[in-house]
Amino acid sequence: MDIVFSEASVSFAGRPALHPLSLRLFERRIGIIGLNGSGKTTFARLINGLLRPTIGQVTVGGLDTVKDEAAVRGRAGFIFQNPQHQMILPVLSEDIAFGLKNRRLSKEEISARTDAVLERFRITHLAGRRIHELSGGETQLAAIASVLVTGPDVLILDEPTNQLDLKNRRLIEETIAGLPEQAIVITHDLPLLDGFDRVLLFHEGRLEADAAPQEAVRTYRRIVGC
Amino acid sequence: MSTRDLVLVALFAAIIVALGLVPPFTLGFIPVPITAQSLGVMLAGCILGARRGAAAVLLVLLLVVIGLPVLSGGRGGLAVFVGPTAGYLAGWVAGAFVTGLIAERLVRETQPELAQFLGFLAAAIVGGIGVVYLFGIAWLSYSSGKAFMEIAMASLIFIPGDLIKAFIAMLAGRAVLAGYPLLPART
Amino acid sequence: MLTGLDIAGDTPLHRASARLKLILLFLAAVALFLVHSPWALAAAAIIAVGLYASTGIAPGEAVRRVRFVLFTVLLVAVANYIFHSLDDALAVLFRLGALVLLAAAVTATTTISAFMDEITRLLRPLERFGFVRAADVSLAVGLVLRFVPEILARYGDIREAHRARGLRVRPLGVLVPLIILTLKDADTIAMAIDARAFRRQ
Repeated sequence: MDIVFSEASVSFAGRPALHPLSLRLFERRIGIIGLNGSGKTTFARLINGLLRPTIGQVTVGGLDTVKDEAAVRGRAGFIFQNPQHQMILPVLSEDIAFGLKNRRLSKEEISARTDAVLERFRITHLAGRRIHELSGGETQLAAIASVLVTGPDVLILDEPTNQLDLKNRRLIEETIAGLPEQAIVITHDLPLLDGFDRVLLFHEGRLEADAAPQEAVRTYRRIVGC
Repeated sequence: MSTRDLVLVALFAAIIVALGLVPPFTLGFIPVPITAQSLGVMLAGCILGARRGAAAVLLVLLLVVIGLPVLSGGRGGLAVFVGPTAGYLAGWVAGAFVTGLIAERLVRETQPELAQFLGFLAAAIVGGIGVVYLFGIAWLSYSSGKAFMEIAMASLIFIPGDLIKAFIAMLAGRAVLAGYPLLPART
Repeated sequence: MLTGLDIAGDTPLHRASARLKLILLFLAAVALFLVHSPWALAAAAIIAVGLYASTGIAPGEAVRRVRFVLFTVLLVAVANYIFHSLDDALAVLFRLGALVLLAAAVTATTTISAFMDEITRLLRPLERFGFVRAADVSLAVGLVLRFVPEILARYGDIREAHRARGLRVRPLGVLVPLIILTLKDADTIAMAIDARAFRRQ
C-alpha cells in the first residue's frame, strides 16, 4: 500500500509539531524512532486520519485522509500506545466483534471472523475473559487482533513493546515479524528494528534520517549523544 | 453528540456506578453516612453540563432498567422504578440537567474563585435538591395514598444531608473545572 | 463483578417475550392504582408473590433484592395507618407491594440482552428523527461495564496513595483526582473508537 505525504505539516496552536514533509512509504516493515516529543506519534496519526495535516496532504492507497476519512480508517489500522485504552467493550470476544458491527455483516459472519482472528493469534482461550483481567502481553495481542479482524492493509503500532516484560516483548516482536500485513512501528525498542526495510528518524519535528535500520540508529545515537 | 461526548457520558456514568459500589463516606462531624451516588448526580451537571450530565444519569438508570444492580447497596431492576421513592430517580435526570443548565450560565473559567463557588452551589442546590425533590415528592404523594402530606413533610429530613452534598459538589465541581475544564459556557 | 439480575430458568415467565412482560407490567400498574379495595389488592399481592416465586429464585436472594423497596413501602403504609385508617394503610401496602414483586419477577426472568433488544427497538423511531442512535446506546452501555472495574481499581490506588503520603482520606481528596484522571482518558478512548471506524455515518 502506498502512503504518500505531500508537503504535509502539523502545528498545534501555531507551534509546529511536524515540519513540512514529503515522502512515499511502500515497504513492508517501516520503523519510526526519535526522542519523546520528536513528532513520531504526530506523523503516525496523520496516516490514518486521526490527525489532519494543518497544511498539505496525506494519502493512503490514493485515498485522502481528510476527504475519505472513513475509507482510510478501514485501510489503516492503529494500535495505541496504551492498548488498555483501545479495548472498548468489557469482554474480549465482544470487543473484537465490535470492530465488525455497523458493517452490514451477518451475525454468523461476525462470529466466524472473530473466531478466525482469535485462532490466528492463538488467544482463543481468552475469548470470554474480561479485558481488565488480561496481562500486558495478552492485552497487546488482543489489541492487534481487534484491529486486524477488520482486514486493514497497513497496521500502525505506537510503541507496541512499551511496558512489556522481556518474555512478552519477545512474543510481540515475533508476532510483528510474522505479520503478512504492511506494518509501521513507532518504537524505543531498537533491537525490534532488525530486519526492517526502512527506518525514519524524527528529531524536533523534522525527518532527520530516512535509511536502513543500522544507519538510522547510528544517526539517532549521534544526535542524542549516547 | 461527538464520539468524545459519548465517551465522557459513559465514563461519568461509570463513575456514578462506581460511587455506588464503594463504602459510603462519613464526614467527621456528622454521624450520617453520605452515599456518594446522589452526589454524582449533582457532579454530573456541574462537570459535564446540562446535556451530557443528564445523559450520564439517564445511562445509569438504563443500566438499572436492564437488570444491573448498579444503585448503591447493589439495588437494581425494575422494582426500584415502582416503589414510593421512584420519583427521586426520575428527578435525578431532570436534576442533573437543571444543575448543568445553571452551572453553564453562571460559571466561567475566567471568573474569580468565589463567583465560581457560588455558581456551582446555586446549581447543585436548585437542580440537585430542588428539582430532584420536586419529582420525588410528586410521585411519593401520588403513590402513597391519603397520608401524602405527612410523608412529603417527612422526606424533608434528608435536606440537611443533601445540602452537605451540594457543598461537596461545589468544591469538587470547582476543583475539576480548575484541573480539567469540560463545562460548556452559555450566555 | 457486574452481573445481571436475571436468573437462568425455563419457567413460563422466562419464555414470555420481554415486550409482553413490560406491557403486562405497565397494565398491572395502571390497574393496581385504579383499584381501592384492600381485599382485591391483597388478592393481587398474593398473585404477585406467587409469580415472583414461580421464577425459581432462591428465597434468600428473593428477599434480599426487594427488601429495601418493600421497607419504604412499609414506611408509607405505617404513615397511612397513623394519620388515616387501617384500610388506607393496607391498600397502599398491597398495591405497592404487589407492583414491586411483579417488577422484580420481570427483572428476574429477562436477560440483559433481551432488554437491550427491546430498548433498541423502542429507540428506532427516535433514531429516524436524529435524536439518538441505538448503536450509540449499546456502545455506551458496553463502555460503562468496561470501565467500572478500572475506576474502582483507581479509587483503591488513590486511597492508597493518600495513606502512603500520610494524608487523611477525605471525600474530596479522592473524588477530584478520580474524576479528572478518569475523564482525561476520554480523548484516547474516543480516538480509539474513531480509529476503529465504528461510528461511521
